Amino acid sequence: MLARWVYLAFCTAAFVFLVAPILVIVPLSFNAEPYFTFTEGMLRFDPEAYSLRWYRSIFEDGVWTRALVNSLVIGVSATLLATSLGTLAALGLANSAMPARRTVMGLLISPMITPVIIAAVGMFFFYSSLGLAQTHLGIILAHAVLGVPFVVITVTATLSGFDQNLMRAAASLGAGPLRSFWRVQLPLIAPGVASGGLFAFAASFDEVVVVLFMGGLEQRTIPRQMWAGIREQISPTILAVATFLIVFAVLVLFTVEWLRRRGGQAPSGGD
Amino acid sequence: MVDQVIAETGLEASKQQARQRRRAVGLALPLIAFVLASFVAPLGTLLVRSAYDPLVADALPETLTLLRAWDGTSALEEPVYATAARELLQAREERTLGQIATRVNRIKSGLRSVVTRSVRKLRNASGDSWRETMIGIDDAWGEPEVWLAIRSAGERFTLRHYINALDLMRQPDGSIARQPEERRIYLPLLWRTLAISLGISALCLVIGYPIAHLIAHAPPRRANLLLLLVLVPFWTSLLVRTTAWIVLLQTQGVINSLLVAIGLVADDGRIAMIYNMTGTFVAMTHVLLPFMVLPLYSVMRSIPPSHVRAAASLGATPFQAFWRVYWPQTLPGVGAGSLMVFILAIGYYITPALVGGSKGQLISNMIAYHMQTSLNWGLAAALAAILLVGIIALYVLYDRVVGIDRMRLG
Amino acid sequence: MVSTDGTPHVEFTGVSKSYDGRNWVVRDLDLAVQKGEFLTMLGPSGSGKTTCLMMLAGFETPAAGTIHINGVPVGDLPPHKRDIGVVFQNYALFPHMTVGGNLAFPLEVRGMDPSEQQERVARTLRLVRLEGLEDRRPGQLSGGQQQRVAIARALVFDPELVLMDEPLGALDRRLREEMQYEIRRIQRTLGITVVYVTHDQQEAMVMSDRVAVFRGGAIEQVASPEVLYEEPERAFVAHFIGENNRLNGVVRTVGDGVCEVEVGDALIKAVSLGQCPPGAAATVVVRPERVNISLGEGRHSYANEFDADIEDIAFLGDHIRLRLKLCGHSGFIVKIPNVVGHGGVLEGDQIRVGWTALDCRALKPDAADDGEDPSASG
Ligand SMILES: Nc1ncnc2c1ncn2[C@@H]1O[C@H](COP(=O)(O)OP(=O)(O)OP(=O)(O)O)[C@@H](O)[C@H]1O
Ligand SMILES: [Mg+2]
Repeated sequence: MLARWVYLAFCTAAFVFLVAPILVIVPLSFNAEPYFTFTEGMLRFDPEAYSLRWYRSIFEDGVWTRALVNSLVIGVSATLLATSLGTLAALGLANSAMPARRTVMGLLISPMITPVIIAAVGMFFFYSSLGLAQTHLGIILAHAVLGVPFVVITVTATLSGFDQNLMRAAASLGAGPLRSFWRVQLPLIAPGVASGGLFAFAASFDEVVVVLFMGGLEQRTIPRQMWAGIREQISPTILAVATFLIVFAVLVLFTVEWLRRRGGQAPSGGD
Repeated sequence: MVDQVIAETGLEASKQQARQRRRAVGLALPLIAFVLASFVAPLGTLLVRSAYDPLVADALPETLTLLRAWDGTSALEEPVYATAARELLQAREERTLGQIATRVNRIKSGLRSVVTRSVRKLRNASGDSWRETMIGIDDAWGEPEVWLAIRSAGERFTLRHYINALDLMRQPDGSIARQPEERRIYLPLLWRTLAISLGISALCLVIGYPIAHLIAHAPPRRANLLLLLVLVPFWTSLLVRTTAWIVLLQTQGVINSLLVAIGLVADDGRIAMIYNMTGTFVAMTHVLLPFMVLPLYSVMRSIPPSHVRAAASLGATPFQAFWRVYWPQTLPGVGAGSLMVFILAIGYYITPALVGGSKGQLISNMIAYHMQTSLNWGLAAALAAILLVGIIALYVLYDRVVGIDRMRLG
Repeated sequence: MVSTDGTPHVEFTGVSKSYDGRNWVVRDLDLAVQKGEFLTMLGPSGSGKTTCLMMLAGFETPAAGTIHINGVPVGDLPPHKRDIGVVFQNYALFPHMTVGGNLAFPLEVRGMDPSEQQERVARTLRLVRLEGLEDRRPGQLSGGQQQRVAIARALVFDPELVLMDEPLGALDRRLREEMQYEIRRIQRTLGITVVYVTHDQQEAMVMSDRVAVFRGGAIEQVASPEVLYEEPERAFVAHFIGENNRLNGVVRTVGDGVCEVEVGDALIKAVSLGQCPPGAAATVVVRPERVNISLGEGRHSYANEFDADIEDIAFLGDHIRLRLKLCGHSGFIVKIPNVVGHGGVLEGDQIRVGWTALDCRALKPDAADDGEDPSASG
């Protein structure tokens, strides 16, 4: 019995450790004062102690809106690239005739395992020599390749649950290979493709190291701007931005879970 | 006859297989090409950079030819001085002199100013003997050290960066020895990185195991809710999570203020919990914990509760039931989670950079330092290459233990 | 319904198949299916039935030999151009389309106009008795309903040839019997040719005009269910279809259609197919229900009459099953119809058994087994 209480107390503490830091940010972003801690007024729930000034400052300061546009342009382009190439490759990898399957898989997943700093340094050297450093295109290519593993893993997992007999059935009913793919296979693996794409987008939306090494002023994304904010002049505006990002994370999370359920896969954690 | 049919059979089977194979490869090929071009090629460039530096060799070709013929001790003759002066002035015109000086300086410190200052003065110098002029500007030009340094910086292919990165040095006789203890920087940092990563993996396992267990065996509704508590941090921006720890842990932060408010800590005795090793440790454990919990959870969920019950019915104590029946079955998850956390921790950059202060920096931060501050790109590349080799080894290990095709997300 | 004249609807000639280039999954197979015929491929697991079906549907290519449909070789015809209806073992219904969508799919890819599509879909659903379920998703149907949808989808585009691979494997027994009847009814109504795969021999016998018994990638015998049961030509068929006693012995004399086989110390008179010359080994097969028993006093006059010891008695409702020891063989099975109970026999009794020479056949022994297990089945 005692053991059970210790176990539950420990787990509770662990969950608090996981979630509390994120939750603390939200109220602090409404702080009327430029501090990073709860003022006495906030603790008394004095309405005066709360304000939206940091949220206003996000929109007044063009830096953040520009960063958002950059993040979206880069994120969406990288996601489209990674998702389309990644889905095709996953279709090839799902075929048992694929030679050197494990090696290829290892190659395609390696961008996820390689420390970003190494990738960023290498990309800086390589892309500079091609004149792609400090361009949107360079960052898009870099983010796309960093997003590839997420798409490959997710779509491959989805395909492993796909019944190949459906494709034979489609053929027996008179549909050619292309039509079978569009009408039967793609709609059925679409949730997996979409959640792979979301993973890739989230990865790009949160990526800072490559942007740090390869991006110029023109390529400042939201995380890059936050990095600058944390390093240089730490103002509660960052907390307001962070609150937005938390909301974004929760939305992505629910979308992915919803897609997972639609895809008929096991709930989170995979297997 | 039979043999012939078998042969034809094999032929037809292999023809059909070949067709299938072509199709599979065709589908995967665009992505393979893309990854090779935009990811593997950069890593290749990095490896080249770590051992290949043509700048000095290209700028001072004739000087270097002369120096290579030199025995390294005897006094140099006028032609060397004349050629060097000409090529150095040329380099100054082409604005590569600064980079040359930096490289020479890395071989023997103090030579940067010798080179740049001398060449500036050489511009206005005139005379019959470049030798005397140069020695007149700086005595150092009369010593072999400068020339040896230039000759060494002029090697296109060099292991110099690796020698530096491994805290070794080349002795005057050309042999390689370890740096004296107090001048070793990178190996201790590498060990520290490994130790911290190991510590973080262990901590993640200790925290992650019970909560994965709790989630895996809770009733479905509650399990989903608890899982959200793991997944929200997983999906939340890394920078947001790091910011959160700054907000909590800094001296004027939430926790210190709380401790002061309840009187546990004096206002002038606030605890330094961040911008040091503790900061790195706490924040990285938080960031990496989901990577431990998720694989553990998925393994534990597949263990039927009847196993532990069966053990109990056979007379095992709860501890025995856990240790002999449950724990062994979770080992794949433990392996997958620990290896993944370890791999990710070793290469971590952002979190230590933001909350690690000077004591909580890892090898990645050193790479960034040499890229951005000291501008010793060759050394940065060598350090990155060493880290890369380690990561590849761990990746292969992960493939053996877990199998990369079994990797799942969130 | 079965037209035996003209070219066969489907013809396999010398077809062989290997997946790995080393092992034969199908070997030198010849088989002709007539128009309007219901032919079942029956055989143990791994005997190559599905492979044959898949070659016919175009999903696999034969390594050697040719397949003709209506006299035309189809080697180069891709599956989607073959116009063959296929019912898959797990149904393979498209889960993201409604029942109506599933049925309309083949019509749509053939460019039929929507109103005619609708009309056809409705008509076909009526045929399989699923009116009004157009808008359901496959996931919302019971197993039996899904099965009917799968059949409807394979029929909706009016193929003349329909292939079914163990379509009833996943259903419970009652539903299975009902569906056997339904499929047979639909096949007769439409006059289509059906090639059906199962490893359930009872199903094969209930449904088929003819049954092809597969074994190790080759056909052992093709015949109507009755002929297969009464006149097996191979020891394997004899014990794969129904239950049979097998007694191994050596042929002593061969006469006019009848031979004598020495089993233990007894001589058994059996029908000879000319497979076994005198002196050769032979397996004598006799059905358990063709063996008569008498309890000592009243003697019959059968060509084959022996004393036997009762080892075991089991009451099975419609019949009583005796296990006997006879001619030194243990486990000889006899079934007595339950007309008057078990007639007072007891375990350990000695009884007299007899059967006619026409009720037993001398066959070449099965190479692959030693004939000791008389109850092998698919
Ligand atoms: N795609 C494949 N690749 C390799 N071998 C295969 C493949 N499909 C079937 N086989 C092998 O071919 C043999 C015949 O298989 P087939 O599926 O035709 O048997 P079956 O008679 O349909 O059996 P079942 O009653 O179990 O369905 C088996 O030994 C099987 O292992
Ligand atoms: Mg089969």
